[in-house]
Amino acid sequence: MAGSAPATREGARKIVGALESAGVTLVATVPDTWIGWLADELRPSPRVKVVDVAREEEAVAVACGASLAGGRGVVLIQNAGLLNCGAVIASLVRLYRIPCLLLVSYRGDERDPIYYHAPKGAATEPTLQAWGIRHARAAGPDRVGDQVRQGLAWIDEAQAPFALLFSGEDLA
Amino acid sequence: MTTLRRAWLYGLVSELEPGRDLLVAGLGANARYLPHLPTRVPNFALCDAMGAAIPLALGMALARPDRHVVVLEGDGSLLMNLGTLASVGAASATNLTVLIFENRRYESSGGQKLPEVDVDFAAMARAARFPTADRLDGATALGAALRKARETGPALFVLPTAYDAGEAIPPYSERPDEIRLKWNRALGKETSWQRNA
Repeated sequence: MAGSAPATREGARKIVGALESAGVTLVATVPDTWIGWLADELRPSPRVKVVDVAREEEAVAVACGASLAGGRGVVLIQNAGLLNCGAVIASLVRLYRIPCLLLVSYRGDERDPIYYHAPKGAATEPTLQAWGIRHARAAGPDRVGDQVRQGLAWIDEAQAPFALLFSGEDLA
Repeated sequence: MTTLRRAWLYGLVSELEPGRDLLVAGLGANARYLPHLPTRVPNFALCDAMGAAIPLALGMALARPDRHVVVLEGDGSLLMNLGTLASVGAASATNLTVLIFENRRYESSGGQKLPEVDVDFAAMARAARFPTADRLDGATALGAALRKARETGPALFVLPTAYDAGEAIPPYSERPDEIRLKWNRALGKETSWQRNA
């Protein structure tokens, strides 16, 4: 149960365009339904390599490794997985001041009709707040590409993580 | 049959290939020894982030197909993140070599035992589609192992390592900013954010 796929994926295409134009070379990901929609648009990109990993902490480390080696890595995970990532964000991203954009599928907010996502939805923003991670909610398909671009610019300046929380509606 | 960690490390650094190899160390004794070794290749050590060294090295390997990345990890750290073997296998990172220091102890935290089961990490790597995975008898085997790994990766080698509760492992002597700066300079490849650092 995850809702039906959107008829259009303009928001997803804008995210892909923003990643490509900002020089992102690698996206490390663990899927969920919404991420699957976005990844469908991302995988054909000749400029961005999608790396499927087993667990979200790995996605953070893979993206950081790419960035340290002269590429540009981004993380694409669900908020369930983000909640797993507190230690690696603190002890790798923060400790070594590595720019890290986290694109996070935001299950369980008020736009999500599925009951079992609600508890992690409720925990997501307070957790990011507690971890001191700057974050924003995606503001719809028209805006989401610009938000990705802004997030990528900000992490470079701040040498810090930034989380953009998106819903299925933002990909439509 | 186990080998002293220092013997593994000195054997390793003498076999690393400047201009080709990059070296990553997971937290603990390997990271603490690293600044004291004549490594001759760009190296990056984790002070913390247990379990992150292999995926970190995977990201480096995928970003730099022109280089060969060697990552040092402990058996306890790998147990914490076993799924990463599948991630490496799936990514077909041919330029990644994993060296697992197996002493069945959480050495940095006081030498507590790992869960007491005889895990065959080389078999696990083979099951995750590493074309090269083996257990090495001693440091003299490292040269041939690395040559094979550079040709047929990803590779994983288990290094049976002696545990000595009295070993005087040096403390962490480099801070993360220093580690990152030295890495960037050694790699000679700067990105925009690194130029601003």
